[in-house]
Amino acid sequence: MRLCSFVMVAFLASGLLPWLAAPEAQATDGGTLPPIFERFAAGDPERGPTVNEVPNFQKHISPLMGRLGCNGRACHGSFQGQGGFTLSLFGYDFDADYKALMEEDSSRLDTRDVTASLILAKPIDADVHEGGQRFQEGGWEYWVVRKWIEAGAPYESRQIEKLSRLEVLPNELQFTDSKQTQQLQVIAHWENGTSEDVTCLSRYQSNDTSIAEIDEAGLVTSADPGDTHVVISYDNAVVPIQIIRPASLELAHNYPPLEFNTEVDRLVLNKLRKVGVLPSDVCSDETFLRRASLDVTGTLPTAEEVIAFENDSRPDKRHAKIEELLSRPGYAAQWTTFLCDITGNNDDQLNNFMPQGVSPANQWYRWIYSRIQDNVPYDVLVEGIVTATSRKPDESYREYCEAMSEICRDATGEKFAERPGMVHYWARRNFQSSEDRVVGFAYAFLGVRIQCAQCHKHPFDQWAKSDFENFERLFTGVQANQNTRGSDAKRVMDEMLSELEIDKSLKGNLLRRELAKCLNEGGTVPLPELVLRNEPVRTKDKNTKTAKGAETRKAKLLGGEWVNLDQDDVRSKLMQWLRDPNNPYFAKAFVNRVWTQYFGVGIVNPADDLNLANAPSNAPLLDHLAAGFIASNYDMKWLHREILNSDTYQRSWLANDTNRLDKKNFSHALLRRLPAESTYDAVRMALASDEYALRAQELDIDRAITRSGASARAPGRDDESYALSVFGRSVRETNCDCDRSSEPSLLQTVFLINDTAVQSWLSDPRNSWVSSVGRKLQLGQTEPAVSKSTSAETPPAMQGFIKQIQRLDDRLDEAQAQGNETLVSQLQEKRSELRKRAMSVARKNGQQDQLRALMGETSSPDPESAAETTASAIGSQDLEWLIDQAYLRTLSRRPDNSEISLAKKYFEEEESPTAAIEGLMWSLVNTKEFILNH
Amino acid sequence: MTLKRTCDGYVRRDFLRVGSLTATSFSLANYLQMASAGEIRPGAKGKAAIFIDLNGGPSHIDTFDPKPEAGDDVRGKFTTIDTNVPGIRISEHLPKLAQCADKFAILRGVSHTLAAHRLGSEYVNTGSRPLASLEYPGFGAVVTRELSVAPELPPFVAIPRGNQRAGFLGIQYAPMNTGASPTAGQAFSVRGISLDNGMTVEQIERRQGLLKDLDRAFAEVEQQEQLLVGLNRFNEKAFAMITSPKAREAFDISREDPSFAKQFSEHAFSQSCLLAIRLVEAGVRFVSLSLGGWDTHTDNFTKLSTKLLPELDAGLSALYVGLAQRGLLDSTSVMCTGEFGRTPKINTRSAEGGRDHYPRCMFMLMAGGGMRGGQVIGESDDTAAGPRHTGIKPDDVAASFYHSLGIDHSKEFHTETGRPIMIVRDGKVIPELFA
Repeated sequence: MRLCSFVMVAFLASGLLPWLAAPEAQATDGGTLPPIFERFAAGDPERGPTVNEVPNFQKHISPLMGRLGCNGRACHGSFQGQGGFTLSLFGYDFDADYKALMEEDSSRLDTRDVTASLILAKPIDADVHEGGQRFQEGGWEYWVVRKWIEAGAPYESRQIEKLSRLEVLPNELQFTDSKQTQQLQVIAHWENGTSEDVTCLSRYQSNDTSIAEIDEAGLVTSADPGDTHVVISYDNAVVPIQIIRPASLELAHNYPPLEFNTEVDRLVLNKLRKVGVLPSDVCSDETFLRRASLDVTGTLPTAEEVIAFENDSRPDKRHAKIEELLSRPGYAAQWTTFLCDITGNNDDQLNNFMPQGVSPANQWYRWIYSRIQDNVPYDVLVEGIVTATSRKPDESYREYCEAMSEICRDATGEKFAERPGMVHYWARRNFQSSEDRVVGFAYAFLGVRIQCAQCHKHPFDQWAKSDFENFERLFTGVQANQNTRGSDAKRVMDEMLSELEIDKSLKGNLLRRELAKCLNEGGTVPLPELVLRNEPVRTKDKNTKTAKGAETRKAKLLGGEWVNLDQDDVRSKLMQWLRDPNNPYFAKAFVNRVWTQYFGVGIVNPADDLNLANAPSNAPLLDHLAAGFIASNYDMKWLHREILNSDTYQRSWLANDTNRLDKKNFSHALLRRLPAESTYDAVRMALASDEYALRAQELDIDRAITRSGASARAPGRDDESYALSVFGRSVRETNCDCDRSSEPSLLQTVFLINDTAVQSWLSDPRNSWVSSVGRKLQLGQTEPAVSKSTSAETPPAMQGFIKQIQRLDDRLDEAQAQGNETLVSQLQEKRSELRKRAMSVARKNGQQDQLRALMGETSSPDPESAAETTASAIGSQDLEWLIDQAYLRTLSRRPDNSEISLAKKYFEEEESPTAAIEGLMWSLVNTKEFILNH
Repeated sequence: MTLKRTCDGYVRRDFLRVGSLTATSFSLANYLQMASAGEIRPGAKGKAAIFIDLNGGPSHIDTFDPKPEAGDDVRGKFTTIDTNVPGIRISEHLPKLAQCADKFAILRGVSHTLAAHRLGSEYVNTGSRPLASLEYPGFGAVVTRELSVAPELPPFVAIPRGNQRAGFLGIQYAPMNTGASPTAGQAFSVRGISLDNGMTVEQIERRQGLLKDLDRAFAEVEQQEQLLVGLNRFNEKAFAMITSPKAREAFDISREDPSFAKQFSEHAFSQSCLLAIRLVEAGVRFVSLSLGGWDTHTDNFTKLSTKLLPELDAGLSALYVGLAQRGLLDSTSVMCTGEFGRTPKINTRSAEGGRDHYPRCMFMLMAGGGMRGGQVIGESDDTAAGPRHTGIKPDDVAASFYHSLGIDHSKEFHTETGRPIMIVRDGKVIPELFA
């Protein structure tokens, strides 16, 4: 780049009147201004460079402070500041930063004694400055700051210029080896048509330093093969530049012509070619069936289904299976749970909203379920949430209460699906302040972490604090809690309370309790409703006398237009903006999240963090899915089909030499721990009888995936709650996809190998597969084999129980002798209660045998005689059938020969046939192959 | 390892390697090192901790911060007694604690502003004022993360369950809940960790043998995939815990030497205290206990004198004395607190009156782990309506608790979203505790 000379803009004002105009540098030919370090290169050591240009606060001073780390979190960007001096974290709050610099008596900036200004004196002196030396006296940074102060430190908030584009050259980097370098050049294009080389004023960061490093001057150095982005920030712009170093150069240059049938595959292969990686083969039929069943419907295929699929010879059987899975109730339940996670269906946060005994969480779940089942377009579903009202159009308050009271009497929540609006979304306790709403809304429907901008400029995105505040005003008009009712409702409510004979002065929980009573008795009760309050918005801080009063009647869509707040329900504008095909987030956030469910890694990853710096690993792929989703009119099944039918989804987890380390370009399937609900449902189904498993698949019985709400603080004490919390079910509390955990943990393993719940599913005499097989093969009782250490002595803890039971037995004998049937049944009931209690104590002490013996019950079979029967009790054909079945119902495949012989060997060693079948099933659900989707 | 940026540009290591296509920066040893917990800072005395949660919020005036000079409407019905530390007097209904007052420090004038049970409880169980957007990890979760534990033992046990959750640290740091309290003289077991389902050690070993034989699907890549490495580790640990007698025996209070066990009353809380000692002795890092019922809005004095205080007195004194007898008090940090104090002014809603929620003034007890007992730190005003001077924040007590365990309370963790969070946001170690 050639050096340009400058012409000075008319020098209208002295340093004493800086706000009128400051001489600014411009390129003579309208070209790009060279870097400021050249313009301010040290000349005379006393007077510095001979330039007349006055540096600009927004364009030079503020970026310089960011680059030097002054406004970092550990330094003056900390909310407490440092040494009394506070800058806005990550900058871009020019007013506040300028004010902080100009603070009276702070000596930070002294236009009369320039060199005494702390912002010059501190950064050059490592001893005095806690943050160490930031630049050298006499260096270009020094002169930029000094010349700015000498000119009177000009800044005028109205003169903030808009950056129209930040250009980075080159805009994509390809390396072929490690330790290669490439200097980036960064050019700021301002809206007024000027441009400047700001390479030395920008900040740089690598998203993965194991692939490429970037230094503070913008010099990129390659490292390992792979692909990542370096991120360049200046002013409010954040620009990611893709860096690729192919795993195999040869492959990248001579990529084999791979066939593809879908657009998804084409786009994925395009990327794989660039990074020099070959995809894995498409997986086997059995792997596909297991994977797709778990992903689409949340649980395993039945054993029968695995065999049927194996025997299906149609070439398009995978496609047909996908259609079948998408039509199952499990599909609706699985994706309802997914949407309940994102929208935040949480019992805790809803627990005061409706009369006691009514479960808004169930209603929430059912409302979404019915729409997923009917494949209602995603935007329509979201509209029902975003613009939710309690009443239907033209419904009076009384009519609303009549309809809703009826609905609330349905404990399942199913009837609530009839209502057009899902108001509960707005009624959560953690969704009441407008700040919370912005954060929660952006999380759910935009996949954006706007909360960063609540307090400071978003470090990786364009959002400034003002963007947050302008957006926030859209969320102030809605109120929904147990006390909100429309203005026309007051009189009706009083009437209703009189009719119900409820004290009108009751409030809060006391009222909720009374309403619940009347509701249960079939009455119509005055229920709360969502109301819109179209009132002037109060500014957050009553003491600030800003001119906000007038401005606050307007709000601004995130990165979009201004919206006038003087209208009935501004939420319809919000919805319009969401579903607009040009909305940059709405469709992308959803398709990316669904993709993440299927692959374990998002195209943008993590999936709830769409920001400029967190660039998609495959932008064309994300664009294709989002565009197709919009074109399909937000048809969710279109999206599922598009993904499921691709080879990309159906690839094997088994890597080849080129793609083993690829975890983000979808060249092979990644191993994923089953989600909490799937774990619970899959273990239960695998261990349950055929009949039970089939009913579970059809959702004839409750499954973990049909659990409606979440509650982190009171997760419940039953087996299901315990298991789900141990396996990391989403707590739906903090507006983060990480509310759900897929990390393995010790307690999970303990649960699977030794929990009483798993043991009882294994051996449950009514519903377990082991006992049904036992009956089929006539293997005798299915009590688990018990400890050998049976002692004749009565354990001390049992003595009381035994005495009581003996007494009862005596009385029972008497009653039977007398033929007093009522008494007999009463006593029997008592005895069974007592036995239950005794057993539970005995179980804690490992004394079940003793107890059974003492109560005169048959004890377990003698282990030695059992050993005789184990191998011989089951014929060899039966044994092979059994092992085959065990594999089909757990790992959804047939065992190979070595597995069969290992299992057979185990059967010979185990104490009894039943114990052996249990042991085999136990081992299979404890394999990694079981707990992982692969 | 992937280097992942956090909210402020901090670079964080992540187990999931997403971008790179070579293995040069991956090392299993490195991972295992990271996965296993950090070590104790040299010099710290506490190697384990016991936390006693007095759910409901105990009255401070009727227990450890009595005001015998105050008027009838504040003083209450109880008189005070001498302790074995000259100058320290506490409620007459705590005679056993009075006799071991040299073992613990009484903090008076602890003060905060959260008068709801859940919020107050979250505050005193984490040391950080609760935020809506973030759940702080309880003490036990942080200790679990920072201190390593023997393979066959759970690091963090809650008896029967507690208010300390793993928060943003993630489920792997959650406590193992016993789900029930032990009964005197009886064996005791915990969900999943003992063989109380009829299986024998031989049988589970046979099953484990079969499992090892069959679990070969990923054999080729087992050492390259961190997920598989992790699952294998958990399997080994779980199996070690279940089959080793160590954990089972630690939980089995019926194995305790009768002469030692008889110091503990039959009440569930006392027995839980006994269990806590056994667990700590075995090497468990953190045990939380709870004793509820302190929400005495009505009939404050009857409830306290007939039930709550005798139970607390018996259990807690036996815990302190028992730890000291076993030589464990110096290496075990013990913290006891409710979520708040109760109003100095006695309400008149019931015949004998009650006291309501009152976070502005409360007490806490700290012992062991190098903290000096036999002293009162802090002071409340004449009517115990607030601290006389600046007051002690729950944050300060938390910082001190961590300090006694050699954990730097100002250390930062990163949430899943990369937000840096200090262990205790706003606390200072209380120097008198360590003087």
